Amino acid sequence: MILGPTDVKGDVSRSVDVVVIGSGAGGGPIAKELAGEGHSVVVLEEGGHFTREDFNLDPADSYMKMYRDAGQTITLGVPFILLPMGKTVGGTTTVNSGTALRMQRPVLKKWQLTHGLTEIGEDELNLIYGHLEEYLFVKRADPEVAGKVATTFLSGAEKLGLSCGWLPRNAKECEGFGACAFGCPSGSKQSVDVSFIPDAVKAGADIYTRCRAEELRVSSGRAAGVRGRFLDPATGRPNGKRIEIEARVTVLAAGAVFTPYLLLRQGLANSSGQVGNNLQIHPATQTVALFDEPLGPPKGIPQCCYVDEFKGEGIMLEGGTVPPEIHALALPFAGRRNARLMASYPNMGIFGGMVSESDSHGRVLDLRRPGNRPAMLYNLRGRDVEKARAATVLMAEIWFAAGAKRVFTPFAGHYEITGPRDLRRLERSRVRAGDILGMSAYHPLGTCRMGSDPKWSVVKHTCESWDLEDLYICDGSVLPSSPGVNPQLTIMAMAMRCAGFIDERLSA
Amino acid sequence: MRLLSGRHLRELMEAYVGEPEGLPPIDLEGQSAFIEEYFAAGAPELKMLFAVCGIALRALSIFLKGKPFSRLTSHEKDELLNRVMSSRNPLLRGVAVLPGLPLLMSYYRRPEVAVPLGFDAKALKEESNLRVVTRDRSLPPKAGQGGEVGK
Repeated sequence: MILGPTDVKGDVSRSVDVVVIGSGAGGGPIAKELAGEGHSVVVLEEGGHFTREDFNLDPADSYMKMYRDAGQTITLGVPFILLPMGKTVGGTTTVNSGTALRMQRPVLKKWQLTHGLTEIGEDELNLIYGHLEEYLFVKRADPEVAGKVATTFLSGAEKLGLSCGWLPRNAKECEGFGACAFGCPSGSKQSVDVSFIPDAVKAGADIYTRCRAEELRVSSGRAAGVRGRFLDPATGRPNGKRIEIEARVTVLAAGAVFTPYLLLRQGLANSSGQVGNNLQIHPATQTVALFDEPLGPPKGIPQCCYVDEFKGEGIMLEGGTVPPEIHALALPFAGRRNARLMASYPNMGIFGGMVSESDSHGRVLDLRRPGNRPAMLYNLRGRDVEKARAATVLMAEIWFAAGAKRVFTPFAGHYEITGPRDLRRLERSRVRAGDILGMSAYHPLGTCRMGSDPKWSVVKHTCESWDLEDLYICDGSVLPSSPGVNPQLTIMAMAMRCAGFIDERLSA
Repeated sequence: MRLLSGRHLRELMEAYVGEPEGLPPIDLEGQSAFIEEYFAAGAPELKMLFAVCGIALRALSIFLKGKPFSRLTSHEKDELLNRVMSSRNPLLRGVAVLPGLPLLMSYYRRPEVAVPLGFDAKALKEESNLRVVTRDRSLPPKAGQGGEVGK
């Protein structure tokens, strides 16, 4: 059952086989797999449960309901980076763009060589990926519903002879309502809230929503469950009801920011000193292009195509179209200049460039802020600034090849590009991290990395903590580095793998 | 509790939104209510920073334009905001960028603004209600849409 705070009449105290903290790309698959094997499973999810009926294509409304801090989470450093994260049943998968890519082969090699993860084999991973792709209806975006912004951008890339194509997505019969990041209104996107969680519930798992895990229970040197509190849906503050779950196995899957935060607060599982360190994100820049003619109706798939010509250098271009209230924020102007451009909203397209392999690292701090809000330190290093600039230049070249008249970039001093001369000026100029206006980033990873050496890693290849028996960590935090692409499928694959090890442990 | 006085908030809204042609004027009450709600749902620091940026813009107006923000013409306000926004000093630029987040969002999310621009969320929602997708696997895939993945 999925139980909200109103379904719970008093304090909850239960004893189960497995408690999972978090219902996203890590927690959802584990709950489904283990419940399916007949184990008793309870999931604690801090966010609420929303369904297709609640998804009304209103970005601000979904930010407030389904994003942590209403989507206002910002990293501290230069530049300030907006790092939106989901807080709802399904985690960020409910509000992501549905890109479902396998990790790049060289990354797995790097994990094996640098982190000693030789037990994770390519064949094994491919088998899991294959299963996930079938379960989540992964297929390439349909060009017929992708929208004109995407087809126009791809036509520009093709003219330049760049490697590009349609992204594989976990969406079934998608008709391009253009709202993946605000909750799919048709139920097409196979996020964890419509796939793994319903199947986990069918298999007997209980999901407690608006329920914040506050403390891991530790008994005789092993993890023994969790204590938490229910939250008032209106205020987000504790409503007085408590929950205590005693479990044979505890799975921490609260994401790469909240998982280390919970551990740091209790000083657990951190003999390596690596908990909270090695924070990696995918910083992104965007370009807005203005055309003479309209780019069609706003329907389309927000993130459906890619240019991967420079993926080896850690640059991926992915993007599409956004509603006016988000579009207005992407323009590097205020007042009349913003208004004049917004009047041409139908003639504009937007595309994002992601630094998919970043050299910069940040950390999650053990700094207690009110309302369960961790702080993250992250500075964008020089090489990544160069990559962000290169991605921006590349996007502008593609837009011009596709027929754009002007392109707007987030680099101070280069907000408006009218042709090759401006582009060369941006290419040649010395840019600093602080020059990027309103940068955003996605996919926090690496803060409880897995590895073969307990001195340098937090969990084993099985996702079990080196320090605390019966504690498994499985979310983006365990990936030792970026998979080079959007990570949801890889996090799910690690979760499926982890579920197998937990099942073995419980069945022994 | 209001972040800034109604007058100051109106000035900022007008300055940021910039009288778009063919679109309705700002709605102080409605947009202010949204901004309050948006900040209440978010990080408390951001709400405080919004107020700080509003005050800093007033100070910058005196420093850069020689008169208070309220006495600037709309053209001068426009010039001031875009000048600060173009600064290569990230902190200074942040003073102009941050207030734009809730102010522009509060304006362009209004259906009477978004619909004339071509984005009708209500119509899209109604259309999506007619096209509910289930996890039923009995539907045959469309032609040319196999399960090919990976590159």
